Amino acid sequence: MITFPLIQIRLHWLFAVLTATSLFLFHSLVNASPQYELVPVQIADNVWVVEGKRENFSRDNGGNIVNTAFIATEEGVVVIDTGPSWQYGKALHDIIRETTGKDINRVLITHHHPDHTFGNQAFDVEKLYALPGTISRLKADGDAFADNMYRMVGHWMKGTEVIVPPNQISPGKLTLGEHEFELFAMTGHSGADLVVMDHTSGVLFASDMVFFNRALTTPHTPGLRQWQQELEELNTMPFSLLVPGHGPISQDASPILQTSAYLDWLDTLLQESAEQGLTPSEIMSTPIPDQFSDIAEVRYELVRTISHLYPEYEKSALQALANDL
Amino acid sequence: MLSWNLIMYPSIHKSVRAASIISLAVLFSLVSSKAFALPEDIHKSPMWQYNIERYLGTDADVVHTDQVSLKVPDFAEDSAQVPLTIALDRFEGDIRSIVSWVDLNPVPHLFSYQPHQQAPLTLALNFRVQQATTVRAAIQDENDVWHIASAHVDAAGGGCTAPSVTASNPHWSDQLGNSQGRYFSRPASNRLKLSIMHPMDSGMVENVPIFHINEIQIHAVNNDKTMDEESLLGEMSLSESASENPLFVFDFAGDDSNQYALRLRDTQGNVFKRILGDT
Repeated sequence: MITFPLIQIRLHWLFAVLTATSLFLFHSLVNASPQYELVPVQIADNVWVVEGKRENFSRDNGGNIVNTAFIATEEGVVVIDTGPSWQYGKALHDIIRETTGKDINRVLITHHHPDHTFGNQAFDVEKLYALPGTISRLKADGDAFADNMYRMVGHWMKGTEVIVPPNQISPGKLTLGEHEFELFAMTGHSGADLVVMDHTSGVLFASDMVFFNRALTTPHTPGLRQWQQELEELNTMPFSLLVPGHGPISQDASPILQTSAYLDWLDTLLQESAEQGLTPSEIMSTPIPDQFSDIAEVRYELVRTISHLYPEYEKSALQALANDL
Repeated sequence: MLSWNLIMYPSIHKSVRAASIISLAVLFSLVSSKAFALPEDIHKSPMWQYNIERYLGTDADVVHTDQVSLKVPDFAEDSAQVPLTIALDRFEGDIRSIVSWVDLNPVPHLFSYQPHQQAPLTLALNFRVQQATTVRAAIQDENDVWHIASAHVDAAGGGCTAPSVTASNPHWSDQLGNSQGRYFSRPASNRLKLSIMHPMDSGMVENVPIFHINEIQIHAVNNDKTMDEESLLGEMSLSESASENPLFVFDFAGDDSNQYALRLRDTQGNVFKRILGDT
């Protein structure tokens, strides 16, 4: 044990170096923040969209399932939604600077759902704007959303915190330099949904009021019929391009029509099932009509929608009972 | 030194000791072995054997069944309200009793059902999940064989220890027992649906004692409203895994009755009697 102290010291030294190196490598493998590869697509003069995957939140996609957008005006850039995590927000902020070379004028948050607002941290908080209903809903639900997002997309969420926009925005005209926007306050998807009509470029940013080829989500809808009625108003807007909250960009109204037809089918299904006395489990396996069978995540979202909305349909089909003692 | 250590006597003693312990265990298990071997759990739940012994007994004769359909979603969108439907219309034996449990809940037992005059064709209610878990329904036939249907539910969890929605309403006690229901005449059965306001407190939320409906009797009353042994179709006992403001569904074969009475009792002794069907 004491015969070759020199060699032993060297061995110890070598061991220490090896351990340190492998620990470092292991550490960087485990803790390396995954990178979002955001590709801005220019869809009109001064207008770019970053299209998300038509999937559900997962550890593979980091929650990048949402469409974000930015518009360069003479007074700076208008950003629409910030994505699902701080990391996404930073990547979005970087490509906005690279693409436009301009400062950010303001960030519009269309509604309080995490995939649209959890990148807020990467932006100057004073520039974050949302409808009053979005602000109150994010205050109430933000922490629960964060728990769920950390569970579903894991390490992509590292460091992400809920940042509530401090500035209220109201519907109406918004002019920045020569650029003319019109803002609409709707409710169908989340209770407070901001829709942005860019009159200068002709692009309608429909937010999650419209889904296209990706099944719509219903956890906070005030009602499927209310949502459908507001879609009729959307359909009267003078757009040449429509950007849905999720799914591909369209030159016509087909995303609105698909969303409306699906809402109609859902409402009819839930109402008729309740009238027949069916249980939620009995309708979760309902066949999906052909016209919707290619929509991504349609079965998964149908099961979620039944959980969110069927209890109310079920109760409306029952009668009040006397306490007959 | 190192290799020498491995073949030193104390280790040999240890392995001999281990071997004798194992053989003793094998002998013991042979001697005490049950008349019926428990089939392997398709879902590999760690609680498979434990909960079967707990709720069906240590010498229960258990088989898997596909004659019972246990319908749950693959994932719990709301961990406090997971819908469960148990369809028994394809079950070929006589039903002596039904037990349902949620393997990984703090109190796994959901309900036990005892048929009297007539076995149900369908049972449905919502349950809570504390984490992702398997759910079971075991049906005992006339030969005392338990037929088990299983399903797995993925979940964020926390359903058993979440404060009730009812408790956040200061006037909840005025609404206790408020109920809505309906009798549905269906092609192959009569369906009873009853929704009742009740906090169904599991006793697992700090400073909220246990308070839930724990007994339900279903009677076929046919206008004379007498509730006795003759009219008793079945009895259900419920545990902490049942959800708040429950909605119960029972199907019975048609034609026998057009009016039913449900008598519900909670752990505080409140009794709620509700009439469903033609009046």
